[in-house]
Amino acid sequence: MDPLRSTGSIGSTGSLPAAPGAARPGDRPASFAAELGKAIGAVDALQAQGDAQAEKVAAGHGNLHETALALEKADVAMRALLKVRNKVVEAYQEVMRMSV
Amino acid sequence: MDFFTALNISSSGLSAERERVNVASSNLANAESTRSADGSGPYRRRDPVLESVSFDAALSGASGEPGAVGVKVAEIVEDQRPGRKVYSPGHPDADEKGFVTFPNVNPVHEVVNLLSASKSYEANASAVDTLKGMAQRALDIAR
Repeated sequence: MDPLRSTGSIGSTGSLPAAPGAARPGDRPASFAAELGKAIGAVDALQAQGDAQAEKVAAGHGNLHETALALEKADVAMRALLKVRNKVVEAYQEVMRMSV
Repeated sequence: MDFFTALNISSSGLSAERERVNVASSNLANAESTRSADGSGPYRRRDPVLESVSFDAALSGASGEPGAVGVKVAEIVEDQRPGRKVYSPGHPDADEKGFVTFPNVNPVHEVVNLLSASKSYEANASAVDTLKGMAQRALDIAR
């Protein structure tokens, strides 16, 4: 077996398929701001669901575990959003620190 | 979102187990009820029938393979076994021979059901805890 040939074959299989959701050349990629806005909307919807459930429980006709889970979902979504925000701010500061 | 699907499945499990507790409590409470609201003789013990249900199209497996599914209470059936007969001629629900038919509820059986439902509820709750921990851990990667 030719060692060079075998390494070459590995290299040839190394062409990765395009990542799903990656912008194809030609069409305009969705703007990050729009995507972030959508994500914030989704997190807000989860918070509203949690609120509505908690109100129902307080009024005496709610479902305890469903409320706890709704609040938990809102919490996790909020944390995830916070991570994204922190990353963005970090990247921004990194760029601003660059000496030109 | 995948994480929320798993949470929804655990939530359906919690609801189903709560329903089992409800039914067991109803059976225990009515262990001595010799008449029912609709006049059809003594109370009959009830049993919930659980059914697996796929409520998330994304998880039910588009290509036909079985996916993760939740659970729901399909129906609550009445136990048709005969009730126990007790000789008590003074009782208003006694028949002409003086026997009263009591419900076919065995309190021991119901308490065991109650215990099993409560433990299953706990199991579902710890699945939620695990999920929570996993989500937290995933978010910690991006620190």
